[in-house]
Amino acid sequence: MEALHPRIRILWIAQRAITALVLGLVIAAVDRWVIAVPTVIILGTVALVLALGIVYAILLYGRWRFELQDDALYLERGVVTFVETAVPFVRVQHVDTQFGPIERALGLSSVVVYTAGSRNADVRVPGLTPERARKLQDTLRNLAVESEADDAV
Amino acid sequence: MNTPHHLHPLSAVTIALRGGFIGFTIPFFLVSIASGIFDIGSPAWGLYLGPVGFAIGAGYGIAYYYRFEYELTENTFDVSSGVVSRRSREIPYRRIQNVDVRQGVLARLLNLATVSVETAGGGDTEATLSFVSESEANRLQRDIRRRTADRGDSSIPTGPESGRVAKTTTEVSGLRAGDPLPEPRSAHVGGPRSSEGASDEVSEPSFDDGTPDLLFDLKPRELLLYSFTTLRPAAAAGLFALFFFFSESAIDILLTTARPFGGPAELTEGTTTSYGILGLVSIINGIVVTYAVSVAYTFATYYGFRLGRADEDFVYERGLLQRYSGSIPAEKVQSVTVTDNPVQRAIEYAGLWVETAGYGPDTSGGSKSAVPLARSRRVYTFAENLTNVETPRFTSPPPLARRRYLVRYSIVAAVFVALAFGLSLVSPLERWYLAAIVFGVVPPAAHLKYVHLGYYVGDDHLVIRRGFWRRRTTVIPYYRVQTISNRRSIFQRRLGLTSVVVDTASSRTFAWAAPTIYDIELENGRAVASTARERLQTALSERRANEDEAGFSVDFT
Repeated sequence: MEALHPRIRILWIAQRAITALVLGLVIAAVDRWVIAVPTVIILGTVALVLALGIVYAILLYGRWRFELQDDALYLERGVVTFVETAVPFVRVQHVDTQFGPIERALGLSSVVVYTAGSRNADVRVPGLTPERARKLQDTLRNLAVESEADDAV
Repeated sequence: MNTPHHLHPLSAVTIALRGGFIGFTIPFFLVSIASGIFDIGSPAWGLYLGPVGFAIGAGYGIAYYYRFEYELTENTFDVSSGVVSRRSREIPYRRIQNVDVRQGVLARLLNLATVSVETAGGGDTEATLSFVSESEANRLQRDIRRRTADRGDSSIPTGPESGRVAKTTTEVSGLRAGDPLPEPRSAHVGGPRSSEGASDEVSEPSFDDGTPDLLFDLKPRELLLYSFTTLRPAAAAGLFALFFFFSESAIDILLTTARPFGGPAELTEGTTTSYGILGLVSIINGIVVTYAVSVAYTFATYYGFRLGRADEDFVYERGLLQRYSGSIPAEKVQSVTVTDNPVQRAIEYAGLWVETAGYGPDTSGGSKSAVPLARSRRVYTFAENLTNVETPRFTSPPPLARRRYLVRYSIVAAVFVALAFGLSLVSPLERWYLAAIVFGVVPPAAHLKYVHLGYYVGDDHLVIRRGFWRRRTTVIPYYRVQTISNRRSIFQRRLGLTSVVVDTASSRTFAWAAPTIYDIELENGRAVASTARERLQTALSERRANEDEAGFSVDFT
């Protein structure tokens, strides 16, 4: 089982920090234009959301595992709800590598695997180095082509 | 044959009128904004600009009609449209999930129909032709269906089995769907013939006049039972909308109904008791009317339901005022579901649905009714014949699951009591503690949820049953599994339980969540997942060895 790159924690924490900041701004706006909110509550909420975000990011990193098995890509993740998913190679429609601005700054990349399914139709493996992402994409593509059944849709 | 077609000339009129109407209203809207908010111009300008807008809109509509073309080519169904920006869309036949024909009341009088072509991708209908003539709609449905079948077969490489494959191809070429379904015939359809292309279908002399075989038709008794035992939440939503538009007359009606029972004479003058009576009577009134609307809607929608087969395709038609007809290729069926609600279970009736990856005119997305309602025993036999699944022996989740529902519903009941208490603080509500009666419902509710859960791991299929109000028993061939997941919430982890989510390519809908085996022991859940994965691989290699295997038997009744 392969873990994600440790830097993914920074990405997740950064995302939560942005959420916390936006939330703080919203409450500040409410304070300014609607009703007065004590500063302590604003700062407290931001701090609480941020702290939860950090704990969540660390726990999530600790649980995220993926593996290329004989017939399927297998993933385990989740803090509140723990999910083990198997994506059979034959079901892979196409594979993307993607990265957002923060990911790019951190030198990380995601692989997104698309199936024809209706739920979990896109399975994302975040926190990979660009080389690892490229390699995973190639491997998945080759395995998907190798198993060449029609896509059953 | 391969020349671009236009829509029916009458649709030029409808498109032009629609465009004209939009063109007519936009100037009024803009002028009122300009004069009202920005103080530019006067509202009277709308009177001059309106007709200009109408002319532009109508002209655009006519141009749209002339620029809209569709064509059946050898491999694709092409639609090009657009006046200013052009869009040309080519839909490969083998990707087409189903072709539906819809006819409203007016369209039926004018012999017009709307054709929609669905593929698996996207959240929308891929191509909509509104309107074409009725005969053209039937021709399209038939030709697309036939070409889809041909594409499916021609993609199979020749091998030792080719003789058999070729025979299937010829059988395919001789039949048509979309024609009115005949009365049941015992005659055998499509004998072996010596042809390879689709071109000779007309010249082939045969007892077969190209009409599909009837598989099931909904008897009046079944239609009535279906209408009376099905409650459609959409009916309530529709009534609410009506209420908002016509609130005055609706309130009048409610007042008139409540008056004989002691309701208030006018809305503004009444006592607490008479308002109470008004409220109670109105609620009953609402329920009765919703039910009546729901019954009428179901009756009109499923009136004259008939399902037939045309080679490897299901074809159906239904509807009293608005007629629907459609074709579903059997090879596109993802899973099959038997549904029943408590009333239907009591009278031992059930319905059969097939799920495809396309979107249809049905509210439930890619899920289509194959048998709206019939005797349970018949329906389960149909399901077994259709999927070739053995009679399932269901395994129940462990009793621990029931305890979980007990706790869950107790929390809901506690919240309800807390709400009642909260209400008693701000309103004259007394005896809030009487709300605790809901706790009495908790144990039976938990038990009923529990007893209707079950799963069966078959040789070639996974069968999943769940739900009390609308119980669904879904048969999923392993071959159709897309992904399989074990989901465990924080509470399930504590109890060592898991929910197995089996995802197929049937359309995403809110009403029909992905089939899930709820709350079984973790090791069993993992075993189900690994079994499903193994058998998917086995099924794939079996299909490689024997390409002819359809997976679903079309002759299931």
